[in-house]
Amino acid sequence: MSEPADRRAVRWSPTRVAAGLVLAAWACLFWFVLFSGRTSLYLSTRTAWLVPLGAILMTTAAVGRLASARVERPDPLERRESVMFGVIALPVVLLLALPPATLGSYAVNRRSNSTGIGASARIVSGPLDLVDVAAARSVKSAADDLRARAGEQVTMDGFVTVQPGETDQFQLTRFVITCCVADATISYVTVVDAPPGKFTNDEWVRVSGRIYPLGADILIDATSVEQIPPPEDPYLTP
Amino acid sequence: MRKLVLVSVVFGSLLVEAMPFILLGAFVSAAIEVLVPASAFAKIGRLPRGLQLPAAAASGMAFPVCECGSVPVARRLAAKGLAPGAAVTFMLAAPIVNPVVVASTFVAYRGRDTLWVMVLGRLALGFIVAMTVGWVVGTLRSGELLRARDADVEAHEVQEGEARWRRFFGHLTGDIVFMARFLILGAAIAAAVQTFVPQSIVNGVANLPIISLLAMMGLAFIMSLCSESDAFVAASFTAFGPSAQLAFLVFGPMVDMKLGALYVGTYERGFFRTVVIVVGATTLVLTMWLQVVFG
Repeated sequence: MSEPADRRAVRWSPTRVAAGLVLAAWACLFWFVLFSGRTSLYLSTRTAWLVPLGAILMTTAAVGRLASARVERPDPLERRESVMFGVIALPVVLLLALPPATLGSYAVNRRSNSTGIGASARIVSGPLDLVDVAAARSVKSAADDLRARAGEQVTMDGFVTVQPGETDQFQLTRFVITCCVADATISYVTVVDAPPGKFTNDEWVRVSGRIYPLGADILIDATSVEQIPPPEDPYLTP
Repeated sequence: MRKLVLVSVVFGSLLVEAMPFILLGAFVSAAIEVLVPASAFAKIGRLPRGLQLPAAAASGMAFPVCECGSVPVARRLAAKGLAPGAAVTFMLAAPIVNPVVVASTFVAYRGRDTLWVMVLGRLALGFIVAMTVGWVVGTLRSGELLRARDADVEAHEVQEGEARWRRFFGHLTGDIVFMARFLILGAAIAAAVQTFVPQSIVNGVANLPIISLLAMMGLAFIMSLCSESDAFVAASFTAFGPSAQLAFLVFGPMVDMKLGALYVGTYERGFFRTVVIVVGATTLVLTMWLQVVFG
């Protein structure tokens, strides 16, 4: 018994299959970022929803393209299109192959200071963090709130940035991101009375001590500084 | 090697954030193509331009995505017969006037004396600048606006007589593939520049009247930020007055490195230059006026 004519006529289109596979590669990247916990390396908690959204939409597009890849007149995959698909697939390979990394001390000198907007209300009663410190540097009411809490015991996590010539002090620093790493700004406190020469750039530490706004600067007089592993969520969101 | 890894961090974050918006835009664009008849846009195209442009700008309020998502939609609208001026006005206004961006600007400046200057100023300037560009390109026909796509590529996407769902995925894939390569190029350049050029490069000109505006527009071009987050970065440039920050917030969502790559790929030669000149000049004049009023 012979097949119906419309079944016999359709064949896989190499171009459509290639396009479907490139979209599938991107879908895999989004699913990988989602399930490997790497979302926080790229996006803030506020925009983390984009990763599952991207995964679902890209998977839908890939499945739809592959499901419609059998046509009556399949065209060959030309060299120019192959290069184009390669260019689009390249970032997937790069992002999967490179080790997970975060912005560090090198980027600190290339970013502006965070304003920590939205944090000023927390300064009145809650535990202080580096977003509050950023707010206190830029909003007068937040600075007044922090001044009222001068001398309080605080504990903050961050990475070390050491300025040339500093021995027993360093900047405890975090990047603050709103949407993605591209909009990162910095927040820091100066840690004084730190063990001299013990900590180097980019080491993650937990600092405990008393906090003092001092002129334009904000200090922590450290009672303890201990090394900690880098946190799963290295960036703060205001 | 470490610097290259840092470039990859910014590059990856730009892509992971922007690609879902490109996808959203491509889904909307493909739906417009297969569901909305061309005659609907032809009717809008017959309206007087004095009505078309404000309506196009206002319709951006109903499209809460950042700038990458509005490009494929505007391209499809123009291809379906919407007047080029209206399509371009929509594309430029949507990333600034949509409610998510208005809210993020409000949050970024909450607690500042300049809160309402920034929120309302950005909204008003977004409308005016987008409509000005729409008016300038309004004399073009859609064939003169859109860059012709390779006929073979179009044929791969959709063949004559295919079912509607197959045409939908054909146009969807075409838009994603078309936009993605330019997004990747723009994100790579922006990531490299962001990694190696310090933001403090502009601090020295913060108090110079016109130079400060140009510097902030240049910085917005280099940084290529999403319009939903750029207010938080603009607010961090406390040495600059509100008018310079507004220049950053209006120019950036309309003209930046990744958008430049998308525009060059989507529109005819000269369009990107026109947008840079008109957006730049209009933003500069309006923010100069604000600089006189608000500092």
